[in-house]
Amino acid sequence: MSISTASFETLKLEVAGKEIHMNVGGAGAPLIYLHSAGGETEWMPFHKSLSQHFRVHAPAHPGFGRSTGLEQIDDIHDMAWHYVDLFEQLGWQQVPVVGFSLGAWIALEIAILRPGLISQLVLVAAAGIRVEGAPVAELFLSDFKEARDLVFFDPESPVVKTAMPLTFDDSRVLMWMRAQEATARVGWTPYLHNPKLPQHLHRVQCPVEIIWGRNDKLIPVAHGEYYAQNLPNASLTVLEQCGHMVPFEKQEEFVQAVVEFNGLESGTRRTAK
Amino acid sequence: MQFFVFHLMPWDRLPDDFDEKYKSAWTWLPNSTFEPVHGGELYNRYLDELVLAEPLGFDGVCVNEHHQNAYGTMPSPNLMASILARQTKRVKIAVVGNALPLYNPPTRVAEEFAMIDCISGGRLIAGLVVGGGPEYYSFTVNPTFAREMYSEALDLVLRCWTEPGPFEHYGKHWKLKYVNPWPRPIQTPHPPIWVPGAGSRETIEMVAARRFSYMGIPYFHIDFFQRNFDMFRDACEKNGYTADPLQLGWLCPIYVADTDEQAWAEYEPHFNYFRKKLLKGLTVFPPGYTSAKSMIGINQALKQFLLNVETREEIEKGAYAIVGSPETVRDRLTEYIKRLGVGNLLGLFQLGTLPADLTQKNMTLFAEKVMPALRQNCAPGRL
Repeated sequence: MSISTASFETLKLEVAGKEIHMNVGGAGAPLIYLHSAGGETEWMPFHKSLSQHFRVHAPAHPGFGRSTGLEQIDDIHDMAWHYVDLFEQLGWQQVPVVGFSLGAWIALEIAILRPGLISQLVLVAAAGIRVEGAPVAELFLSDFKEARDLVFFDPESPVVKTAMPLTFDDSRVLMWMRAQEATARVGWTPYLHNPKLPQHLHRVQCPVEIIWGRNDKLIPVAHGEYYAQNLPNASLTVLEQCGHMVPFEKQEEFVQAVVEFNGLESGTRRTAK
Repeated sequence: MQFFVFHLMPWDRLPDDFDEKYKSAWTWLPNSTFEPVHGGELYNRYLDELVLAEPLGFDGVCVNEHHQNAYGTMPSPNLMASILARQTKRVKIAVVGNALPLYNPPTRVAEEFAMIDCISGGRLIAGLVVGGGPEYYSFTVNPTFAREMYSEALDLVLRCWTEPGPFEHYGKHWKLKYVNPWPRPIQTPHPPIWVPGAGSRETIEMVAARRFSYMGIPYFHIDFFQRNFDMFRDACEKNGYTADPLQLGWLCPIYVADTDEQAWAEYEPHFNYFRKKLLKGLTVFPPGYTSAKSMIGINQALKQFLLNVETREEIEKGAYAIVGSPETVRDRLTEYIKRLGVGNLLGLFQLGTLPADLTQKNMTLFAEKVMPALRQNCAPGRL
């Protein structure tokens, strides 16, 4: 299980008329990673790190990255049904899933539609609900620097450049705008949540590990607390000095939490929180 | 050649600390800034300015729709148009336009426009628009559906005016069992359709294919208008006909005084209020409002947007506003109208804080000393 130079390949799948691009890398038990509104569909350092423990599957949602088919997606339910199709097509049942932000919301919707598909679920800074008194901040900003300041605890951190473009000259701008568009498609209104999700949370019976940044200004940690209280089988870990971008800002802690939650040995000791 | 007076009905009292305190005159600018009594005075004054267009000999007046902002305080241009329908007898009344995706159901637009056409005796020009980027924040309408909602609503409104009701409309965004709007418009088959655009190819091709009229959205460099109008004429040729100049309109700030110097001296502070304060936040494009590729193109064009232009020389060179003596304004407008090949000039004679007396003087000088010459210089066949 010690693959020090984990590499990946990109698979192109046709799922109900949509062309879906999925990065796959590593060896071991399968792990599905569902990405955030930021559209981290490239093979990121945390993917690589996860792939030293799992065979990581990281599909790009329709409309994100190079995946097509946004015209078939009108809301979060269409997105969840897309994954029901994808899971069935790949024969995935009872697989562990990690979802970050938008991806975590999608994972919850999948778990509600088809409880048998997901064996255990890691929710990182999950969108999906509205918590009175703890509003989700405005994500649809046209200014990169404002967006950066919103989602990172330390906007000057070197990981910022890995995660997002900061100027219009950046070659990743087109993908960034596609990600914004696809996120708006399912999350413009109701804003990044499904008003009916709370009444369905009791159906998510699988074990759930919730990870949140204490300083998340986009989706305040109160959302994590709500999920922890209302999901039947969940626990919450809050990371200090961390914003919304947990897999980038706290890569080591994030990967370790996923590894331990899935009952695997971890190579390093968990750092103090 | 047709001459219109276009009014935005701007808010003229932004606080002194606006620049430091607010990033935008749109959507989020607190509405406590709006003083209702003064607002009422402004509405009446601005309506008087539009009514004045008729005795001065203009061909028409234009109003438009914006929400939750200080740039243009007409959330309902149809209310203004209905007043103008009563207070004028001759001029065309162009509502440019109603933002279709904001009307639910959009049959409302077919109804209200038909009312205005009936009251005015068939003088309505019906502008049907997507709505500006900020409106999608103000109305919480999903911008990724803007184009398909617009397209569905446009077809529905035209059907309301041309097909006997009741009929069923079954679309993606609206499912209406009994569409049968009363009244119907006087003009047949329906009032002329104007569509304003900021240069997206999709809009230009749609307008050309349907033989509507295309109005260039202002505050860009003159070359940008040229490119868009050329694209429109090409699109008309591809549809098997040659564009009529009356299918094209150029919307432009205009200010006339006795001399060039006097014109700039009188105009500049009010124009600067307009471009530095009221334009702030206009160019917000929510995700999916246009394709990601178009957005990158728009971001290039925005480098030449009026908000980002600094000097008087740049303003004159890019024809962002035509300012000067009657002779200067006449010569420059003659040149640009011919170059652009437009049959409609939509003049913004009031902008920002420009007060009533200067606005009326401006309109009067234009009507008496510029418009007659332009009618001669730019008559059909001389374009």
